[in-house]
Parts: sequence; structure tokens; C-alpha cells
Amino acid sequence: MSEAFSHRVLPYGGVEEFLAGALPFLREGVAAGDRVMAATCLGSEMLLRDALGAAADRVEFVQADTWYAHPSRTLADCLARAEEAAGQGRRLRLLGEPVWTCRAPLEVLEWQRAEALANVALAHTGARLLCPYSARVLPAGVIAGARKTHPETVRGAQAVPNPGYLDPWAYNAACDREPLPPPPEHADGMRIDLVDLYWLRAYVADFARQTTLPEDALQRLLVAVTEVMTNATLHGAPPIHLRLWTEPAALVCEVRDAGDWNGGTGFGLLPPPSDGPGRFGLWAVRLLCSHVQIRTGRGATVVRLRVGLPPVRVTESLTAYPA
Amino acid sequence: METWYTKRAVSGVRPGDHGILPYSGPEERNRVMSTFMSDALGNNEKVVYVTDTEPERLPGIGPRTKLQLHGYTETRQLVVVRREDACLDSRGRFDPDKLVQTLRTELARTDDEGYRAMRWTTDNSWLLHGRIDLSQVIGCEHQIAGAVGPSTMVMAVCQVDRRRCPPDRYAALQDTHEVLIEDDPRFDDGTLKIVQTYAPPGLRIEGELDHARQTRFAEELAQICLLPGPVHIDMSRLGFLDLGGLNLLVQYAADRPGGDPVVLDDLPPNVASTIDLIGWHRMPGLIRGRDRRAGGEVI
Repeated sequence: MSEAFSHRVLPYGGVEEFLAGALPFLREGVAAGDRVMAATCLGSEMLLRDALGAAADRVEFVQADTWYAHPSRTLADCLARAEEAAGQGRRLRLLGEPVWTCRAPLEVLEWQRAEALANVALAHTGARLLCPYSARVLPAGVIAGARKTHPETVRGAQAVPNPGYLDPWAYNAACDREPLPPPPEHADGMRIDLVDLYWLRAYVADFARQTTLPEDALQRLLVAVTEVMTNATLHGAPPIHLRLWTEPAALVCEVRDAGDWNGGTGFGLLPPPSDGPGRFGLWAVRLLCSHVQIRTGRGATVVRLRVGLPPVRVTESLTAYPA
Repeated sequence: METWYTKRAVSGVRPGDHGILPYSGPEERNRVMSTFMSDALGNNEKVVYVTDTEPERLPGIGPRTKLQLHGYTETRQLVVVRREDACLDSRGRFDPDKLVQTLRTELARTDDEGYRAMRWTTDNSWLLHGRIDLSQVIGCEHQIAGAVGPSTMVMAVCQVDRRRCPPDRYAALQDTHEVLIEDDPRFDDGTLKIVQTYAPPGLRIEGELDHARQTRFAEELAQICLLPGPVHIDMSRLGFLDLGGLNLLVQYAADRPGGDPVVLDDLPPNVASTIDLIGWHRMPGLIRGRDRRAGGEVI
């Protein structure tokens, strides 16, 4: 079934073009007995349901903003469903309309990376993915980017190869080419000569509890920091620096050591193979945090973990201090 | 729900403790009693054991103690009192007052005999499954608590076979003890504690587990995973589990002979959320067990 894997982009200008690409894709799946899913906005769902008629009952519709909540988790979820279907002798067929509006540049980058890595992660499952991109709504850069991360483009009833398609790992490396901006001046931090993970967690928790970070997100961050610090101790080189700071809507935790990292591990971008117990390391760290950045080379390895902070509810804080 | 009593490892038993040892089988009883007896015999403390079992066949009498048994009984460092002498009346019925009197008599002699303390132990299981009036047993335990509690010389451990006594009777008996005695932890450094459990067989891990203590955890896990049948890991008191620890659980669960699972009981919310995020389907061999927080069975 592996030859059958496909990942196509469907750039569309209007409703007609959208339906012309999406409907045959979904109908073919229903007819073949595939597990057919459509992660779209509500408007597209209504259009598709109308056009599909009774066949719509055999399509699982999920809201795009729920499905596309977190790049690593979405990729893992998609893979789990694709493998489950493959295990039943079926295939996953997903019409997925990623959410691009209201995304910060860093998030856009991670979603594009996920599009590229889907080609590696899902190839063995025989899944078929079709990603509609609205040419009217989306910036030209996002559509151009999609041609680098999807091997084929759908035009009418045809799928044509994308000449600009990049090898996923080359695309991924390009995502990390830019150096990270230095931590802000106000960052809290220290050099760690003797790693005591217990104490380290207490320190990070103390910092985080001064922010709006909810307790469950903090607990996940602690698992992530412990893993990254353990890696720095076992595989990196001293000195190790820990830095913590807040940005608008995020808490950032950085671990820097003086080692050069062998990139052969894939930096946890792909889930471990599910046919045997793999090790949950950096891949799990990516699931646990909102966003992970890694830079290595020239005698330094930096892992930056970012977790989203809910906004402060101004009205509540005002009523907490009566005049 | 388990807050009214103190849980104490057997080697931490101290004068004034009136403890109950609920055991689930001979292995557990032997391990605990072996520590209890050898700590006494090696530290100039006297042991008074009320039982009909011959001294050489007492639970916890190891080969080394057995060799010196005659010496211990000769010097009255080990006193084995038969039930009829300790707590049965002339018609063979349980006599609580006589049992308390036996304890007081032995205690009074301890100092003169030159021992610094006295350890009192007996197996109470026969009192719970028979036709004996439970209120008599409870009353007796209260009297013993009254004799032991204020003392600086005596510690008492009442053994109970959990398999042989009805839960309601056990609960009533446990209520009369302030200390719950358990096996010494396999490991305890203040940050992480690993305790072997017997019913169900497995480990209880308390505190925080990360790379610093991973090797020790791996050793204990390897041992316990050799047992047949499902193995339970009680996580009710686990504050933190790192990914390395989770990897170990997954690895040992997958490698178990016979394909029996490793059951994770009472997962704290933070650990459960990590596992949920990664996906249980990626952890063949690990299954989620009881959750007492959700109102399940309390043992």
C-alpha cells in the first residue's frame, strides 16, 4: 500500500474549484471503504455535506481549528489514525484545510514543517491527504510554501507534480537556518554546574507560578525541561545554562550547553515507530510544549521550549483589589 | 481516606507503637517478621511471640537465627508463649484479660532480664475468622494499646492474614491500631521511595522519579517483572515521573514473559496527562488500573 501514499495541495479560487477537487477525493474514498475524514471550517463542511448527499454520513467531519490545534500533536494523531486504518486493511483519507489566519510567524513555520514531515511520517501507511488552500484568503507566501511541502498539486481532475517540491528533511533544515534571537536582557537564569533535576524543577515551577501558566501546562513543562536537561547532561557538554523569561502570551525556557549535537536523531520530529516500543524523548517534549526550537552546531546546542500563557483577565484582577 | 494511621516500615518500629501488619501471604509475612525479629535479637531487645508454632518454624526465623535459637530461648531473649498459656481460659476460650496480663507480666520482667525493650507479636487471624465475639477482640486491642502507647519499652505488632479475614472484621480491627506496619522499602533516599507490594504483586513508587534514580528503579522493575501474572505499580504517591521512567515501564512491560501486563494504579493527573498525550496505543503492555480518586476500591 505504501506506493499509494499521496499528499496533494488543492489551491482554489472559489467554491467551484474547491468542490471540483474535494468531492471526487471524498467520494472515491467512500466508495473504496476508506476511513474518510474532513477537517475543515464550518462553511466548507456545509458545502461538502450538501454536495455529498447521503455519502456525507460516511465522512467524519472535524472542525479545522480543533484538528489543527498543535502541529506535533496533529501529526501524531493523524499517524495514529492512519496506522489504525492500515492495520484494518483500510486507508486513511483526509481532506485537511489547515488554519493559517491569526497564526504568528513562528506557528506558520511549524505548520509548514508539519506539512513537509507528513510526507515522511505517513508514507508507510498508504494514507491519502488532500489539503485545500484558499488563494483568495491566504498570503501568496503560504501558497508558495505549500508547493514545497506537497509532492503534487490538484488541478481539476488532474494531479500534477510540484516542480518546487523539496525533500522534507531539506525543507526542515531550512526552517531552522535562521539563528535564534538572543534571550532578552531581563531573562532569569543561571549556569548549572551540578545538575540536580529535582531542584531544577522546583526552580522552574517557582518561576512559572508567578505567571498565568495553568497547573496542568506547568506539569507538562516540568516533564519537558527534565528531559531536555537530562539530554544536556548525558549527551551535551558543560557549561549548561538555564534561562527563563516571558514573552507576550508565552513562557520560554531555554537550555543551552556547549556540545555539538549529532542531528542523526531527527530531533524528535517524527514519532517513534509504533510497531515496537520506541523511546519517548524529544518527540514527547514537542507534544508537551506549545513550541520547541532547537539549534546546534559550532560548539553550542540550544533547546528553547515555549508554552502558551493565557491572557490575564483584567476585570478579575481589578476586582481582587477593591479601592 | 488513609490518614488516620501512620504507615511505618518495619525497621522503623519504635517503642509505643501498637501496629498492625496485614499480610497477603507467607512471603510478605516472612520478610517483615524477619526484619522485626533480627532487629530485636541483634539489639538486645526481647521478643515475645504468642503462637502455637514451634520456635524453629516461626515466621521470620532465618537460618542464622535458627542456629542460635536455643541460646535465645535459654536467655529468654526469645519467649514463645503458647496460646493456652497466654490467652485461653481453662475451657479453651479466648480470654482477653489474660492476654493483656501476659503482656504486662512479660513487660515487667524485661528490665530485670537486662533487655532494653520488648517486642510483642502474635497472629490475630484466628480471632477474626472464628466464632469469637468481635467486640471482645476490639476491647482486648484497646487494652493492649493502653499498655503499649505510653510505654517507652514495648512495641507490639499484630499480624493479620488479609486473605483469611472478612473485610468488615478486618476494618474494625485495623481501627484499633495507630500504626500500619509494612515491609521496608526496597529503596528510599528521601526523594524517591520504592516499596514492594504483595497483593497485588508489584511496586509502589513515591516521590519523584527522574534520571538521577533511574538505575535503581530499573533494577526493582526488572525483578518484579519476572513474577508471573499482572504486575501493579501503585503511583498514588508519585509526584513526578520523567520520560526516562516512562520509557522503562514501557520497555519492561513489552518484554514480560507470557505477555502479562504492567498495570498503572492510581495515576496522578500530571502523569496521566503525559501518557494520554503520548498515547496509550504506543505503550503495548501498559494498562491503566484502578483509580481510587474516582471512587474505586480502597484497600
